Amino acid sequence: MSLEKYEAVIGLEVHAQLMTASKMFCRCPNQYGSSPNTNVCPVCTGQPGALPVINKKAMELGVRAAIALNCEIHPESVFARKNYFYPDLPKGYQISQYEKPFCTQGYVVVQLKTGEEKRIGITRIHFEEDAGKSNHEAYGTLVNLNRAGVPLCEIVSEPDMRTAHEAGQYLRALHSILRYADICDGNMEEGNFRCDANISVRPIGTEKFGTKVELKNINSFKFVEKAIEYEVQRQVFAIENGEKIIQQTRSWNSAKNVTEVMREKEQAHDYRYFPEPDLPKLVFSSSWLDKIKKEMPELPQQTSARFKAAFDLSDYDASVLTSSKELAKYFESVVSHSKNGKASANWVMNELLGRLNAVGKEIDLSPVSSTQLAELIAKIDSGEISGKIAKTVFEEMFATSKDASSIIKDKGLVQISDPAALENVIRKVIESNPSQLAEYKAGKVKLLGFFVGQAMKETKGQANPALLNELVKKFLDS
Amino acid sequence: MLSREEVLKIAKLARLTLTEDEIGFYQKQLTRVLDHIQDLNQVLTNKEAFVQHVPVDAEPFREDVAVPFANHDGLMKNAPAVENNCFLLPAIMEQN
Ligand SMILES: [Zn+2]
Repeated sequence: MSLEKYEAVIGLEVHAQLMTASKMFCRCPNQYGSSPNTNVCPVCTGQPGALPVINKKAMELGVRAAIALNCEIHPESVFARKNYFYPDLPKGYQISQYEKPFCTQGYVVVQLKTGEEKRIGITRIHFEEDAGKSNHEAYGTLVNLNRAGVPLCEIVSEPDMRTAHEAGQYLRALHSILRYADICDGNMEEGNFRCDANISVRPIGTEKFGTKVELKNINSFKFVEKAIEYEVQRQVFAIENGEKIIQQTRSWNSAKNVTEVMREKEQAHDYRYFPEPDLPKLVFSSSWLDKIKKEMPELPQQTSARFKAAFDLSDYDASVLTSSKELAKYFESVVSHSKNGKASANWVMNELLGRLNAVGKEIDLSPVSSTQLAELIAKIDSGEISGKIAKTVFEEMFATSKDASSIIKDKGLVQISDPAALENVIRKVIESNPSQLAEYKAGKVKLLGFFVGQAMKETKGQANPALLNELVKKFLDS
Repeated sequence: MLSREEVLKIAKLARLTLTEDEIGFYQKQLTRVLDHIQDLNQVLTNKEAFVQHVPVDAEPFREDVAVPFANHDGLMKNAPAVENNCFLLPAIMEQN
C-alpha cells in the first residue's frame, strides 16, 4: 500500500468550557456533577419571555484565550442564533457567533518530535453556549439541562496539520495554554475540552483538498492520534481501491479501534443563522481589553523561557518541565527549597516523572511532595548522603510518602564522613588483601580502585566517596 | 411556489413527518410566508438594525456570580413528565 504517496490535511475544532462560576447567559451555577436539573432557570430551559444577560467573566476568559493564541481581537462582534431541533436544546436554537466572531487569525507554535517547531494557524474563536445532555432509554429520552447554557469557546484551526502527530501536538499545546491561563480546566473526562477533526487526504504535491470527513468527539489525547491515523489510512485505502470518499461525520470507536459513520448532520445553511435579537452587539472597550492584557497569567512558552534562563536548562528540559502548569509549579517549588536548579530538574524529570508514568499518576498525585524532594536534594548537596544512597531513599519515599530524614535515620543510611570510622574500615580491607597490596606497592597503581571499591562495599555504600578515595590513597602510599 | 422537496427538507429539519395532504398544504402556506418576507425586504433595513434596538445605556454585562433559581419547583412543574429529575421525552427515533 502506498500511504507515503499521500498526505493528510487536518484541521481541528476544539470546544473549551470556560472556568466561570455561573452560566453564559443566566446566573445558574456552572457546576459539573450536580444532580440532574438542579442548575436550571427560565433562561437556560428556554421559557417564553426569559432573556439572556452576558456573563462578563466568560467574555474575559475568551479574550484571554484570544491573547494567548495570538489572535486579532474584534472590539465589536455579534451573537447569532444557530437553529436546530434536538431535545437537549430547549430554545430550539443555540446562541453562538457566526459571521462576526470576537476574534480571528491567530496561531499556536507546536514542538514536533523531530525537534522542529511548526506554526498552526487559528482561523477563529467564538463564544457559544453548551447544550444539555440526553440519555436515550427504551421508554424515552431523559434530558438533563445542567450543562445547557454553560459558556464555551470554540477554537477552529486552519487545515495546517499534515500528520496525526502534528494534530496531537497542536491539541496538547492548546490544552496546556488554556490551562496555564486559567481559561479552561481541560478536564476531558468531564467533557470540558472536546475535539472534532476535519480530515482529508491528497496525493503529495497536489494543491486541491480531498473530500473531508468530520471525526467527532475524540475525548482523550490517547485516541486523537490513533483515530486520525486510522482515518487517514482508511481514506487512502479507499482511494487506492478506486472508491470515492463520501463527505460524512464519523466517530472513533475506541473498543474496536475503527472510525464509524454517524448520523447525517445539518449543513451550515440548514442552521439558518441570524443575529441574536435578544442581545446587544458585543462591544469590548479598549481600556477593558488593556486591563485583560495587563493581567494575563504567564503562558507555557514564557515559563519555559524563564526556566531556561534562571536554571540553565536545555530547550528539551524546559519544555518537559512546563508541559503542564502543575508540573511547572511543582518544579518551581522544589527549586525554591533545594536552591539547586539543575539537580532539581534532573530529579523531577528522571526519577519522579519516570516513576509517576510507571504507575500512571499525574504530578498532583505524586506521593513525594515538592518540599520532600527538595529536602532530599539538599541532603545530597550537603554531603549527608551520596547520590547513590539518595536513589534508594527516593524509592522508599515514593513507596511510603515518608520524609528523607526519617528513612535515612530508620535505615541507618547517613553518609560516613568521619575519617576515624573510615580509617578502621580501610585498615581492615588492606590487611585482608596482602597480595593486592604487594602488587600496588610494586607499581600497579590502578589497584587503588579495587581497595576503594572493597572499602565502599564494607560500608554498604555509605562512605563519602571523595573522602574515602583520599584516605585509601593516603594509607596505601604510607 | 415552494417545491415538494423543499417542504420535505424543511419538515426534516423540524423533525416532522408530513402526510401527502400536509405537504400540499405547507407548499402553499410556506410560500405565502416567504412572499410576505419578500414584501418586508422592500423596507430599507440592514443587518445591523437587528441589534440596534437595545438601549445604548443598558449595562451589557453581568458579574459572574452564581445564584440558584429561587422557584426551581415551579420550573420543574412546567415539564409534561419528569423521571429521575430528568425531563422525560418520547424516545428519539433514528432519522430516516
Ligand atoms: Zn439558568
